[in-house]
Amino acid sequence: MSSHHSTSEGGAKRHRTEGPQKHIVAFILSLALTVIAFAAVAAGEINTTFTYIILVAMAIVQVFVQLAFWMHMKDKGHLFPIIGIVSGCFVVFLMVIMALYWVWW
Amino acid sequence: MSTHQHAEGQLPHEPEKATLEGRNKILGFWLFLGAETALFGTLFSAFLALRHNIGDGPSPQHLFELPMVFAATMILLTSSLMSVFAVQAMHRHKVKEMVGWLIATIVLGLAFLGLEIYEFNTYVSEGHKMTTSAFSSSFYTLVGFHGAHVAFGVLWIGLLILQIFKKGLTVVTAPKIYVSAIYWHFIDVVWVFIFTVVYLMGKVG
Amino acid sequence: MAAHAHTVKRYRGLMDWLTTVDHKKIGILYLIAGGLFFLIGGLEAILIRIQLIKPMNNFVSADTFNELITMHGTTMIFLAAMPLLFALMNAVIPLQIGARDVAFPFLNALGFWTFFFGGLLLNISWFTGHVPDAGWTSYVPLASPTYSEGAGVDYYVLGLQIAGIGTLLGGINFMATIINMRAPGMSFMRMPMFTWTIFITSALIVFAFPVLTVGLVALMFDRLFFANFFETAAGGSGVLWEHIFWVFGHPEVYILILPAFGIISEVVSTFSRKRLFGYSSMVFATVLIAFLGFMVWAHHMFTTGLGPVANALFSIATMLIAVPTGIKIFNWLFTLWGGSIRFTAASLFGIGFIPTFVMGGVTGVMLASAPADYQYHDTYFVVAHFHYVIVGGLMFGIFAGMFYWWPKMFGRLLNETLGKITFFTFFIGFHLTFFVQHFLGLLGMPRRVWTYLDGQGLNGMNLISTIGAILMGIATIVMLINIAVTSLKRPNAANDPWEDGRTLEWSIPSPPPEYNFKQIPLVRGYDAWWKEKMEGKKAMTPAEPPGPIHMPSPSILPFFMSVGLFISGFGFIYDKLFLAIGGLAVTLICMLLRSVFDDHGFHIEEHEQEKGVTA
Repeated sequence: MSSHHSTSEGGAKRHRTEGPQKHIVAFILSLALTVIAFAAVAAGEINTTFTYIILVAMAIVQVFVQLAFWMHMKDKGHLFPIIGIVSGCFVVFLMVIMALYWVWW
Repeated sequence: MSTHQHAEGQLPHEPEKATLEGRNKILGFWLFLGAETALFGTLFSAFLALRHNIGDGPSPQHLFELPMVFAATMILLTSSLMSVFAVQAMHRHKVKEMVGWLIATIVLGLAFLGLEIYEFNTYVSEGHKMTTSAFSSSFYTLVGFHGAHVAFGVLWIGLLILQIFKKGLTVVTAPKIYVSAIYWHFIDVVWVFIFTVVYLMGKVG
Repeated sequence: MAAHAHTVKRYRGLMDWLTTVDHKKIGILYLIAGGLFFLIGGLEAILIRIQLIKPMNNFVSADTFNELITMHGTTMIFLAAMPLLFALMNAVIPLQIGARDVAFPFLNALGFWTFFFGGLLLNISWFTGHVPDAGWTSYVPLASPTYSEGAGVDYYVLGLQIAGIGTLLGGINFMATIINMRAPGMSFMRMPMFTWTIFITSALIVFAFPVLTVGLVALMFDRLFFANFFETAAGGSGVLWEHIFWVFGHPEVYILILPAFGIISEVVSTFSRKRLFGYSSMVFATVLIAFLGFMVWAHHMFTTGLGPVANALFSIATMLIAVPTGIKIFNWLFTLWGGSIRFTAASLFGIGFIPTFVMGGVTGVMLASAPADYQYHDTYFVVAHFHYVIVGGLMFGIFAGMFYWWPKMFGRLLNETLGKITFFTFFIGFHLTFFVQHFLGLLGMPRRVWTYLDGQGLNGMNLISTIGAILMGIATIVMLINIAVTSLKRPNAANDPWEDGRTLEWSIPSPPPEYNFKQIPLVRGYDAWWKEKMEGKKAMTPAEPPGPIHMPSPSILPFFMSVGLFISGFGFIYDKLFLAIGGLAVTLICMLLRSVFDDHGFHIEEHEQEKGVTA
């Protein structure tokens, strides 16, 4: 009765049983990124701006890793989830700019 | 739209996407997460705007203990891995294995919550209360919202485990498991920004 | 199939309405509730105008006036305009895309009931004596616990919070419905324009309402738990509230107006007997307006003092919106051009919309100019502007949509003569009320002030404005009479009562059976039904063989979940913790029940379909 069986068939036909390797790699990657971030702060010797850049970069990379692997965003049929999250991030971006530049002066 | 075609007999490889209802649920949940992104973004923006206004309260440098935050981060990160293993087990139709991973997920979730309650308790005793300053209000609201999400997730996944025992893995229960896993990962993603923006940047100053 | 064994649970009478998950019935519920709140908001407007009929009037006190303007704005936007839009989208969207229901029928019912109880909570404040009075924007510090003691603003915060949950659910639901439930062949670029605008509006809801949620939570924490988000003394910031409110508030404006654009597109095209001119540019313009709509919030804050860079940026971004909007205006004009236009009540509202909305748009561009805005800010010029876009734009659209889809919703055509009386009275009344307010504003009359002095040249125009408001009231009464008269008639509307229907909803009976389509239709192009008609066909080509149709079961849970939130809201307002927690517990238990007991639904067999189970 449903008109959109096509979306599910792609996965069902191939029956690839995805191994845990990719996810363990993603886990180790996330772990490493977290450790770098904490280490950058714990070391406390580099200048503040540079630390900020490291922290934000590590966070963004880690989020990409988790979205892609753990939340399956790299898989097919995730166009609208991607649009949804990207639009949400767009709002976040605006809000952060607002908070940093336009609340206090 | 017939929900029960696969209920008995063999389950498809990705049971969560076998019915239109299941696919609707997953899509709708992703859209909900888009809304959650905007929600947490606003909480973050309020925190960013107010973080320097500590009033008479303790400063973030004084307050935050990095080892504890690191431990909490590791716990949540690992629980996220547990939940991805649960979904993989579900795809292989290994129900017992899946339940095992789910239990591991919520145990770690509970550990995270316990740590957070202990942490908040310590802060309050150090004079960092909801009413202390704009910084404290926005801190508790942001981190507390995340904590409430973790608590809801624990209850939800716990309820799903009970349902799996009762109903087994079907095309009705599978989308619920899948969606709860996505939710759990999302909570972890939000935490990545919380430990970065709130704790680490707070420590840097 | 074992599933057929499930017994059919069917309720009658009131229980049927409390438990329904049918999008058509939920649409009617939205229409009734939204209409009711519209009457309340309209009454408040009339009282405001009576107070302002002459200088130094003392018809209402200054405090009551503040309460009236606050409740008028809040009610009209959140409890009248949006629900009336939800009424039309519920009634029409699944039909337009060839679906049997929305993606989440249960959530649809939940969305209605949370909106309803949120609105009820807000309006109960009239009876408790603590009415919100800090304006519909509820700016701090005015709305802070220091300057708004008592429970008034708490009603605003919790009422909107609860109603907002319903709206957010509706937004997610309609996005998922439009993405996943379209009939075979209906690609995105074959969707009717109304469906497109609802899709984009839903997206705006999904990303804008959470911002309001957080703003309300912060204000609630400030008021109830002594947090310091907006308490300047403790390091909070009032400007932060302004930002949060308008990051939500400006997209909200487009949430309201985009569906009106969609309705007008359908109505203009149908009653010109022409394909909508520039369909793809219409789609593009809609998406662009939504995108830009998120980046212009600070034009409400030009006088806050963000500085020349921010003001310039937001000024330019705001003016840019005139471009896609202009595209739309010209497309409607070109659709009308050379068409064989029929002047029904629906098409009159559609055609009246165009010049009226253009005027609202032009004053919008005037306001977008930051230096000039320092003059217009907080005067009646602004009041005139936003009533031109919201009443002259949105309400005209809703009226057009109501006349247009009434036969599809109820199986009866509204009376055309009364409809035309409504149009002309409303149109003239509207322009009388608000056109002069531009000049009142330019003369310096401030908004939100309960009276004005004699001898400042404001008397005549205020009198005209009040007369206009009364005319709009009369038009509304005529509309109510029309609805009453019509509902006494026998339902006799044809499938395609306007004979020029272009989209799928006109290919099925009026009102449709509860499963909408006996067989899901195959869509072969834009304006799917018109295309079939032009090829001499009497019905859509089915995309599936006939068979039993699966339906979701009715449920009382959405009602009780919302009652729980309502009780909890009361508990928070009056600091009764057991009520607050008890109410939330009711809601959570209902959620638990929903999760544990699967809804197997039921099937309507083929022989039952013949009987025509009508909604």
